[in-house]
Amino acid sequence: MTEPVIVPDIMRMSWGPQHPMSGQTRILLDIDGEKVHRIIADLGFTHRGIEKILENRTFLQGIIPVERMVMADTPNIGLGYVTAIEEALGIEVPERANWIRSMICEMARINSHLYAFGLQAESTGYFPAVFLWTTVDRTIILRLFEELTGARWSLNFFMPGGVHKDLPKGFEEKVIEGVEYLRRRFEEYWVAMVENATFELRCDNVGVLKPEDAIRLGATGPVLRGSGIPIDVRKDEPYAAYGDLDFEVITESACDSMARTKVRYREIGQSLNIMEQVANEIPSGPIRTNVPLFARAKAAEVLSRVESSRGELGVHLFTDGGMNPYRVKIHSPTLRNMYVFERLAELDEILVADIPVLINSIDPWYLDSDR
Amino acid sequence: MNIVLTLWRFIIEFLTVNAKPLLQIIVLPGLLWVIVYAIIAVWFERKFLARAMLRVGPYYCGGRFGWLQLIADFIKLFFKEMIIPKDVNTFFFLLMPVLLPSVPAMAVILIPFASDWVLWNVGSLGMPMFFAIAGIAPLVPIFTGWASNNKYTFIGAWRVAYMYISAEIPMVICAASVAIMVGSFDLVVIARAQEKMWFFIPQFIGFVIFFLGVMIESERTPFDMPGAETELVLGWRTEYSGVLYGFVMFTEYVMLQAWALMFLTLYLGGFNGPVFFGATTASHIFWLVIKFVLLVTLVILLRVVFPRLRMDQMLKLGWQYLTPLALLNLVVTLVLKLWGVY
Amino acid sequence: MGGVLMSFFKKLFKPFSTVLPYIFKRGQTVSYPTERPIFAERYRGRHKLYLDRCISCNTCARVCPCKSIELVEVEGMEGKYPQIDFNTCSLCGYCVEFCPKNALEFTDFVEFSEYDRSNLVYSPEQLTEIPDLKEVLPMLKRRTEIYLTETEIKFRKVKDV
Repeated sequence: MTEPVIVPDIMRMSWGPQHPMSGQTRILLDIDGEKVHRIIADLGFTHRGIEKILENRTFLQGIIPVERMVMADTPNIGLGYVTAIEEALGIEVPERANWIRSMICEMARINSHLYAFGLQAESTGYFPAVFLWTTVDRTIILRLFEELTGARWSLNFFMPGGVHKDLPKGFEEKVIEGVEYLRRRFEEYWVAMVENATFELRCDNVGVLKPEDAIRLGATGPVLRGSGIPIDVRKDEPYAAYGDLDFEVITESACDSMARTKVRYREIGQSLNIMEQVANEIPSGPIRTNVPLFARAKAAEVLSRVESSRGELGVHLFTDGGMNPYRVKIHSPTLRNMYVFERLAELDEILVADIPVLINSIDPWYLDSDR
Repeated sequence: MNIVLTLWRFIIEFLTVNAKPLLQIIVLPGLLWVIVYAIIAVWFERKFLARAMLRVGPYYCGGRFGWLQLIADFIKLFFKEMIIPKDVNTFFFLLMPVLLPSVPAMAVILIPFASDWVLWNVGSLGMPMFFAIAGIAPLVPIFTGWASNNKYTFIGAWRVAYMYISAEIPMVICAASVAIMVGSFDLVVIARAQEKMWFFIPQFIGFVIFFLGVMIESERTPFDMPGAETELVLGWRTEYSGVLYGFVMFTEYVMLQAWALMFLTLYLGGFNGPVFFGATTASHIFWLVIKFVLLVTLVILLRVVFPRLRMDQMLKLGWQYLTPLALLNLVVTLVLKLWGVY
Repeated sequence: MGGVLMSFFKKLFKPFSTVLPYIFKRGQTVSYPTERPIFAERYRGRHKLYLDRCISCNTCARVCPCKSIELVEVEGMEGKYPQIDFNTCSLCGYCVEFCPKNALEFTDFVEFSEYDRSNLVYSPEQLTEIPDLKEVLPMLKRRTEIYLTETEIKFRKVKDV
């Protein structure tokens, strides 16, 4: 007598673009009851052809479309492109400019992590209280950006050779005031979210990603560090002023969604420390080296890596001697993490109710996976 | 002056004695009570939640407090297009939103607002009638979810089925323990028996279980996974638009009202409270309304503080924790009754 | 077992202590059109052109990444002057920064929406003047700016339009 074979009755549901919580993507789920058998991520809804646009813009003009690849984290991506150009053109950046660049990148990291933290809370059904509190606290950082650069997120502050403008008068005191306020607010978030009984029930043991799987599948950023592996581009290949600054790489060993959220939370604390260090110890000096407006580069191939808030971002630049780059290829952290997300259905038992929690613990930003 | 007083007394007597059922049907606990409560509750919830989220809530309609916003929203819903998708079961699709608020409203009319103010006084069949109506209540969302012919609504419908079954069994057992303690199923008798001591003290376990049950049955966070916005667009309510959407949203408050009033009658003394100026009926109604308002505020507050549970955690809660505790409560009550304590 | 239960109950009641104070705080909203925030000094709003400083060097048009600047003739003056198409302008700031004579500068005027796309192409004469705020927002009563206290961000209403 043969063993009865249980064939699951699969329904393909589209966690689709018309959805209150899906973002700008479509994710197809093969579900049977509440259990998810297969995840297919259907990306590409926000493709704008940025890599092709960059071939028709000069080096200075190209910074604008590249920044439109994210919204919360623009300086980090702009810095990736700008450091690639500087290496291709052979330009040295003065020290003060590097310190200002680090400070702005860390402020953007706080901005992005607060947003992700709020989204993670909202995805568990926590009526958007925490999300709105983090939105209010991001006002401080956006206000600092506005005073420094003139815009709240489309900063456009880096250029090949340095930064556009110097810090205005009294900026360091405002930074320190903002840092102290954010540190006080921090404790409240920990209590409201992480020490909340129901939030723990939702996030513990959801989407466990073991370290060897994380490395094999190519995870990056907080997803990788939440599985206990201490890889961070700011420590491995220091760029801007990170070689002189004092901070730690945060890892957690629990490998689930809660660990990833905690990694982001603690990284905000580290970023606040860096901001304070820069505001107190920034050296004086020139803020940019003179570079012609329409510079030409020799034929070269350059790869520059930066640590954006979602993971490692690589810009692979090919120049051929003209004013425009020949080809730009951007390696996006979200695309790599979405691949890991797809494989999680095979590695771990996931229910439909876990999907929003899992996705927001990976923190994708589809604008940079689709470019 | 004399004539005015006699006229006033005549009107009151007419309303409370002769035309009392008419007053009850139209005002309290009938049509106006349910509708006005829903309007005020939605306004209060929006303002309260907005405050907790550092926003302002409805602001422009009605002079800085926004109390006219709800009426404006409801009137707007009348003018919106009712979209009926092609492959739905049209009869059930259109019928269900009408049934959805009506079924819990049928349960509201059983609750005594004062010793002599019950709209439908079924005597000693009070509690079984209530739970019979509560047994029909899950069927309507399940039908709605099935009739809408949509994957999201289908998942919402079966979540409703699982959730309600696992919650109603412990609740019925706890209510039965209260009835055993008092010795009657009549809701008026149960409420009257709490004059000296409210029942949440001897029946503490039942109090906690029934409170969780109130939130589960009315699908409030942290138990609103059949209508989980982040996973299934609106669960079993997804396909509704226009006036039908208004009915579907209205039903959440009517369900909360039915279960909250039952909870108050069983455990928190019902209409008992100090009497003002010898007007027993009016002060009893007043006390019930005050307690009801406080309970609804607590339930709305819980929405801000806790995220929602997952389906398997909810089932675990219902079957592994609530049902054995309810049985324990029943056993303890039976033993104490046999020993003659009650 | 007792420790686990105690910590569970603590986690059940502690979030209340964080949420309840928020109910008594003021909402963090700026009710626009009666209130308007005060922007920073370097804020990148609409451009303002100084016709007498411009030398028609074409730098702004060449450096614009969105290709929204075109030099056109102006009545009664020699040379060509920039015309900005705000349909495509991203307010990035290159034209302002790299103009050798500082003929373009940013203001904090942001209310320039139109019903017709062709109205968004601003000729040089239109770029020289900024409309009065009182005409554009007749309901405006006060300007606000934020400041930090111990526990919250507050809006200071500066009663000056």
